Amino acid sequence: MLELTDVRLRADAVEGFDHVFQAGEISVVLGSNNAGKTDLCRLIAGLHTRASGTISVDDCKLGNLAPQHRPVGLVYQAFVNYPNLTVSENIASPMVARRLPAVERDRKVVELASMLQIAEFLDRLPHELSGGQQQRLAIARALAKDAQILLLDEPLANLDFKLRESLENELRDLFGKTSTVVIYTSSDPRDAFALGDQILLLKDGAKIQAGTPIDVYRFPESFAAMELLAEPIINHFESSGDSCALRPEHVLIGNDDVPGNVDFKMLVTANETNGNDSFIHGEVGGRHWVVRCHGMRAIDVGTTIDLFASADDVVCI
Amino acid sequence: MRSLKPRDNRAWFGVLPVVLIVAFSAVIPLMTVVNYSVQDILDFNTRFFVGFEWYRETLNDPRFLSAFVRQVVFSGTILLIEIPLGIAVAKGIPRNSKLTPFILILLALPLLIPWNVVATIWQIFARPDIGLLGVGINALGIPYNYATDPTHAWITIVAMDVWHWTSLVALLAFAGLTAIPRPFYQAAEIDGANRWQIFRLIELPRLRGVLIIAILLRLMDSFMIYTEPFVLTGGGPGNATTFLSQYLTTMAVGQFDLGPAAAFSVIYFLFILLFCWLFYSSVVRNDDS
Amino acid sequence: MAGIRLDKLSFRYPGADTNTLEDLQLDIANGEAHALLGASGAGKTTLLNLLSGILSPTGGRILFDSEDVSALAGRIRNVAQVFQFPVLYESLSVFENLAFPLQTRRASAARIAERVDYVSAELGIAALHKRKPGTLTLSEKQLVAVGKALTRPDTSLVLLDEPLTAVEPRKKWRLRQALLKAQSDLGVTMIYVTHDQTEALTFAERVSVLTADGILQTGTPEEIYQSPAHEFVGHFVGSPGMNFVPASALGVAHGERIGFRPEWALIDAQGPIAGSIKRIRMQSTENGVPMGLITLDTRFGEIAVRSMANLDVGADIALRVNRYVVFAGKTRVGESALA
Repeated sequence: MLELTDVRLRADAVEGFDHVFQAGEISVVLGSNNAGKTDLCRLIAGLHTRASGTISVDDCKLGNLAPQHRPVGLVYQAFVNYPNLTVSENIASPMVARRLPAVERDRKVVELASMLQIAEFLDRLPHELSGGQQQRLAIARALAKDAQILLLDEPLANLDFKLRESLENELRDLFGKTSTVVIYTSSDPRDAFALGDQILLLKDGAKIQAGTPIDVYRFPESFAAMELLAEPIINHFESSGDSCALRPEHVLIGNDDVPGNVDFKMLVTANETNGNDSFIHGEVGGRHWVVRCHGMRAIDVGTTIDLFASADDVVCI
Repeated sequence: MRSLKPRDNRAWFGVLPVVLIVAFSAVIPLMTVVNYSVQDILDFNTRFFVGFEWYRETLNDPRFLSAFVRQVVFSGTILLIEIPLGIAVAKGIPRNSKLTPFILILLALPLLIPWNVVATIWQIFARPDIGLLGVGINALGIPYNYATDPTHAWITIVAMDVWHWTSLVALLAFAGLTAIPRPFYQAAEIDGANRWQIFRLIELPRLRGVLIIAILLRLMDSFMIYTEPFVLTGGGPGNATTFLSQYLTTMAVGQFDLGPAAAFSVIYFLFILLFCWLFYSSVVRNDDS
Repeated sequence: MAGIRLDKLSFRYPGADTNTLEDLQLDIANGEAHALLGASGAGKTTLLNLLSGILSPTGGRILFDSEDVSALAGRIRNVAQVFQFPVLYESLSVFENLAFPLQTRRASAARIAERVDYVSAELGIAALHKRKPGTLTLSEKQLVAVGKALTRPDTSLVLLDEPLTAVEPRKKWRLRQALLKAQSDLGVTMIYVTHDQTEALTFAERVSVLTADGILQTGTPEEIYQSPAHEFVGHFVGSPGMNFVPASALGVAHGERIGFRPEWALIDAQGPIAGSIKRIRMQSTENGVPMGLITLDTRFGEIAVRSMANLDVGADIALRVNRYVVFAGKTRVGESALA
């Protein structure tokens, strides 16, 4: 268990926040650029940062403990490995530092390498690997530290789309079995759903909500929290003086007279698709809206279409 | 600026040796010099406080003023030659060729030679009676003699400095040029830019950082030039190549006028600081606009 | 503008044992928006460099409007390019940047102003004219870079090399739309290189899927997604990609393997594909019920299906497939009737 008390990610923060990360769970820390995700990781790892706060691991305060003495492994966005060491030497490096016997070390290297599917490259140098393999090596190295806490700071951000998808599944399967506190930062709501047992939402250095992905998705406490779990944006409107919003996937195309539904008219301005889903962009009451629907759909730009949504899906704050 | 709150201050102990060395080698001597500059020192036990008298005297000293003008002209001249020449040389170095390392080593060679050796080489090389260069120029019908003609002495010293230090500018500029990403050149080619436009619009703006360093280094270093004119002509003919440092040395060591020499040093120091600051702040201001 | 034809285009880097590109065959119509979709290492950059004239083909030809340009230098081909990060002249204003490609070709000031204004209006960057690139955001800079590629009216081809890489994810769509609008209004032939399927499927009239084995399929976004010509296309396009099972699993007589997308299958206790739930990824709710992607462990490997997500990991379920594509030797040999 990792406990944060009175954490301020910015020096000028008015008040700090508390949060608990449980062992054996993957916590996804979700926030846009500059929300303080990296500061949080650096604070936990004991690296120099503008953030401040108290960190305890299993009720034991870390205080001023130097980074190398903390039970923390860290994987960065950039693939950081020792360029002159082979894959196996890279994985072994944290264990050499801990003075593990050579036999034990070799066994662990093979085990980790096969778990992360880089066992066939043990004698290669990092630059001879592909991007995804290099990042898996970095993860193996972090795991070799056998740390209670593993920090992954946007580890897949620089990878090809398809590779990301398969690594996400691998990570999910890998960490599902350990008793490590896994903290994974991201700006992509898909990561929260794909990996998160729990999520922590950050905005401008402050905690805005936490919980399981489905709870945060269903019951956002603020538009900011709703927006962080939205693909790509949320649709704002006014309803009898209240500020309300709808997720793009909850807005349906068509005319529906069921009582309790809300209706809109949208002027279509653009269509986008990734095959699985389509995103119809448009304007409703002068605001930019996006409707997400299944499959490949396109509606002629310039036409006005009817939209409706279930009142249950409307979030008013 | 946000206030940082380091949780571990022990790192400052690591800086301590540097602080001590700098204090010993720079701050303490500087303070001593400042002390001297407001005293009239007859011998070490007989001193009088004279206020800013030596400063007034130094600033009104025609020999100081002419040495100062010579100094500024000299630094300006070598910067005007070495910076463009250095860039031109850097542009001429082939990239990714097998020859590149050899060329870089060749360029670095002059930088490894001590000042007095450079000066001695040129002093002999340019002598009109036995030097290859001197004899050669005279053979062309030009009555070249650095020992008697002030202009010739100047040209020789400038040539010496350019020979010695253009490599530094060239190496810095080469490093800057190789750091320019390829798409910039590709885009320029697609745009139909000619070589001059590529240089002015892509290379020069991206070389700014290294050129600022190069100019500052050469400015400070050339402002302190001593060995070369001293070895070549001893500051002559007449006072033609007597620069600030040499006049200062004559005053302090030769005539033992410690007070005026100290005031001179402080002024000298402030001028270098002022030039660097003016240059640097004008560059930074341009960045902001 | 020009139509582009690659005719048995091959390229081998000096000293390499094998061709990086081999016998590429592709026709792009005049004024078409074409996407080259591929993973890293598929040879996208090499192909781009061949088109822009940085590299010369070691085999085959590149034709612009039936003129062989294989041996011509880049600047003669009139190819413009937009790079992964914005490439602008930092000391020039936005207007001067946009005008530059015309100035170097000695266009009159009036002509330059007219053309720059036209392109700026298309991209919505007229308000930025007086500013220096250093004061712009990344996406504004990239828009200006796109503008610079479009100002010359005689450009044969505009190449876009993953132009949205540096742009913040939530701002990408705006740039994409600006590009799309400019492309169709100006009628420019554009080739958009990317590994991102959203970009390819949204931007292009036709998409080519490029791999180290060559171009596997060229078609409209619908064709690429709905009826992939090759198993790799089915796997690569779509998130997640197609599921593959032996043809016999569904009792299909012809072909070797069957591919189906996660949304083409339904949970059905009587279905032919059985397995236990390995992972559940929620994606949204429908009428308050969580919906998402269920990954099953089956005897054919992992199978993903889009369904209600109120199930438990470890539960045993079965799938019915409503629609599928049949492959033999990795290529498509048939498909089921549309459900």
